Amino acid sequence: MSLTAGRTDWAAEAEDEDLATALPAPQITKNKDGSETIVTFVIRDDGQKVKQTRRIKKTVIREKVNPRVAERRQWAKFGAEAGRPLGPQTDTTSVGENIVFRPQAGFKPGGAEKENESAKTQKDALKNVSIKCRICSGDHFTTKCPFKDTMAPEGEPGTTPGDLGLEDAPAGGLGTSGSSYVPPHLRKGGAGTGERMGGKYERDDLATLRVTNVSEFAEENDLREMFERFGRVTRVFLAKDRETGRAKGFAFVSFLDRADAARACEKMDGYGFGHLILKVEFAKKST
Amino acid sequence: MRPILISGHERSLTQVKYNKDGDIIFSVSKDHVICAWFSANGERLGTYHGHQGALWSVDVDPTTTLLASGGADDTMRLWDVKTGKLLKTWEFHSSIKRVEFNEDGTRLLGVTEKRQGAVSSIVVYDITVDVDAKQPDEHSLRIVCQESKATVAGFSYLSKFIISGHEDGTVTQWSMKDGLEELGATVHENEPITDLQWSQDRTYFITSSKDKTAKLITAHDLEVLKTYPTDTPLNSACMTPKKDYVILGGGQAAADVTRTSARQGKFEARFFHKIFEEEIGRVRGHFGPLNYVAVHPHGTGYCSGGEDGYIRVHHFDKPYFDFTYEVEREQAAKI
Repeated sequence: MSLTAGRTDWAAEAEDEDLATALPAPQITKNKDGSETIVTFVIRDDGQKVKQTRRIKKTVIREKVNPRVAERRQWAKFGAEAGRPLGPQTDTTSVGENIVFRPQAGFKPGGAEKENESAKTQKDALKNVSIKCRICSGDHFTTKCPFKDTMAPEGEPGTTPGDLGLEDAPAGGLGTSGSSYVPPHLRKGGAGTGERMGGKYERDDLATLRVTNVSEFAEENDLREMFERFGRVTRVFLAKDRETGRAKGFAFVSFLDRADAARACEKMDGYGFGHLILKVEFAKKST
Repeated sequence: MRPILISGHERSLTQVKYNKDGDIIFSVSKDHVICAWFSANGERLGTYHGHQGALWSVDVDPTTTLLASGGADDTMRLWDVKTGKLLKTWEFHSSIKRVEFNEDGTRLLGVTEKRQGAVSSIVVYDITVDVDAKQPDEHSLRIVCQESKATVAGFSYLSKFIISGHEDGTVTQWSMKDGLEELGATVHENEPITDLQWSQDRTYFITSSKDKTAKLITAHDLEVLKTYPTDTPLNSACMTPKKDYVILGGGQAAADVTRTSARQGKFEARFFHKIFEEEIGRVRGHFGPLNYVAVHPHGTGYCSGGEDGYIRVHHFDKPYFDFTYEVEREQAAKI
């Protein structure tokens, strides 16, 4: 330690020099639009030198205040507040959440009451709807009609309530020519072809493959993964045993596009999956 | 609008009041202390210590020099607003439910509670609006309410009458000359009147009642001009200057909920149009009944003191001032 007097530590010296050169005086320039640009340099805690450029516009707001009010603002605080600094104290005063308050004509309070109201209007609407039986036109549901076993719905041939009352036994008799029974598919003049099960979403069997000889440990997802590489798979159905939950050995895979299906059929037929060899063919249209 | 929340009181608020210039709010609560707050930012100016019981009422004279308060310690006190110094104490045999100055601050009334050995009365003192002046010991007028105890009272225009509201829902007009009853009217059906606040010129006033309505009544013949029905017991009602609205505050008190319906909430300030008697909006926030609503004398804001111990100071924003009815706009277009 041979630090002689008059000679300072070289490290400190270098730092001093650095500080002197690194921190020029802040520059303030006046802009044309009345604002000021202040450029300052500071050294952050981590030693980084930072240039700060701030643009400030000063606006003088003059407000006329009631002199009595202004005087009262200067009053010294007293009581529990004596000696406290100027401005609101955080222990007593805080700012609440913003409240949207817009007066409006015909104000309706609360959501709950609104709901009640809508339920009420619904009820009112239902009040005016009359229930009418399709068999006897009475004010009950068709299924509750006392004549539902003996009469066909209104508007069908030979089944008005009047003529049923007159000749019920012979009309219903077995083997009688002109029986009142009409099979469902011939009703309404035979025009309707009857509804198909499954509704309007008819399956497109054209792009469906039937996969057989599937391992009984296979899962639908395995099949989906295998077939998805040929195109968009819309449906995978793997037949499973209801009791054991294992696959029965066959599955259907539907594609969005028939071309994909054809390609998949060609490639996957004879593919080894598990310990078995798959057999893939186009599904036959069910009749 | 962003309300200023003031939590300087430890117990429920009983009254909040603006001074005439609207820059200071005085509040009293059941915690024995009066507080003064700057309405602009919620800063506390100071506290007034001396009362030994819950406080029921506070009022300030128009020059913001003297402050009057009354409470359950059977005293009515006069304070120096600026320093918080106690100037005068009047002692009674029962608690003071309401104090109010007249228009120029030269008279002060106090409403005393009815209790065993004490009758309900209204006492009037002649006040000199000066901190250094000696205030009288004796009242200049005393009105005894025989029929039903008075809950609220105030001076009408030119201090011509004293109007009092009673526990049985009646309002009474008393002459200032001799303290005799001149008129009486039942305006609320057998339910106590909880508040009575004046219009700016003190020619009419609004009452609120536990019967869930507020009513606008003229001072000279006690005619009911308007009725504002609500669905909750009301504790307070006031009229807003600048816009023709009234603000009603109330709510089902917790103590009453077990007896009556358990419907929760309704702790909202309700705004009605003063002329059309129609509800135009509500301001939520308190989580207890509103015990008092007071409006800024310039109509720029209002504050409410709640059973929850909070004062909420609101400064109205643009939609409040912009709202007009169709007919009002038509009328304005014609002119």
